[in-house]
Amino acid sequence: MSNNVRVYSNFENVDFWCSPSSVDTVEDFTFIFIQTEGKCTANINVNPNANSKSKVHVYIYAEGGAEVDCVCTLNVDKQNSGVNTDIQFRSWPFDRSKIKARPEMFIANSDIIATHGNALGGLRPEEEYYLSSRGIDNYKEAIKQSLLSYA
Amino acid sequence: MLKIKKLSAKIGDKQIFKNVNIELSGGECLLITGQNGAGKSTLLHAIMGRSDINTTGTISLSKKALHKMECHERAREGVFLAHQTPPTIDGVNTMTLLNEINKVHNMPYTRGELISQASDKFLHMQLPDDWKKRQFNNGASGGERKKNELVQADLFKKKTKLLLLDEPDSGLEQSSRQKIVELIEATCLSGGSVLLVTHDKELQAKYSDNKLDLSDVK
Repeated sequence: MSNNVRVYSNFENVDFWCSPSSVDTVEDFTFIFIQTEGKCTANINVNPNANSKSKVHVYIYAEGGAEVDCVCTLNVDKQNSGVNTDIQFRSWPFDRSKIKARPEMFIANSDIIATHGNALGGLRPEEEYYLSSRGIDNYKEAIKQSLLSYA
Repeated sequence: MLKIKKLSAKIGDKQIFKNVNIELSGGECLLITGQNGAGKSTLLHAIMGRSDINTTGTISLSKKALHKMECHERAREGVFLAHQTPPTIDGVNTMTLLNEINKVHNMPYTRGELISQASDKFLHMQLPDDWKKRQFNNGASGGERKKNELVQADLFKKKTKLLLLDEPDSGLEQSSRQKIVELIEATCLSGGSVLLVTHDKELQAKYSDNKLDLSDVK
């Protein structure tokens, strides 16, 4: 995990711009949203420089009926060749909370690599079993505490 | 300490093993052998309480009926399974997981002690500096995942009454094998029992005095 970590707990609106520039190593950007009440609208804009390598991780946790609507937009201009960017969402909606997690890509250059992934939902069975085998039955709390620990 | 009577296990309609009986005192290690498919790993998971394994028979540990408990309750009673293929867990970092395990065992370590002990043990196992801050097993090789299991087992060995080791050697370099022996001996010395599943010839030879061949049971 890099130092580019931002944790937003019960925010209403978040707008963030980042411009990855690292050419030699992959630059990590991590955004964590922990919403326990109300609604959060978040816009993350990723504008990579030419030849940069980056990974954007977006983790969204919502409980108690809270709502999060998050768009992560990748913008690559014509002049920025060689960009390599991956955007990954992981969301945990608990207690009938609602999460919209949307990666968007606006790309005006064919010489780039852009990938994205989006996983929404509770724990996978193997994750659940593993935590149980360690005596943990409150998975929600384990995830929440872990995400808060980035703050 | 551990008493298993007439334990049979099915996954779906498939019978994995039948009528397994084990009696193991504190401080003893039992080697579980058998051909592929004999049910060695399934036996360990059945003892741990994996929900998709249907069992009949009884399992008791220190006179407590494990077979009536949920998986997490068995862990709290002192059953520790070092998994053969530990998963990655998105969103949960290693240190937070250790902290949660510490909590369910009624805090054998203060937070400071846990961080310090975990750091020493990760270093001892030659895991990367940032290991404890990483998401659990994220980007880890098979060998690193195994080392992570051994570190956890070592950290909480004083709370462990029954250590289940499911091929702890696979994916590990030869030099790390000694650490498995050290862990088994430390657990036994603390009065815990160990069930060991391994294909490693040296480990098999070392613990062959007390073994159960599941192929015979089948």
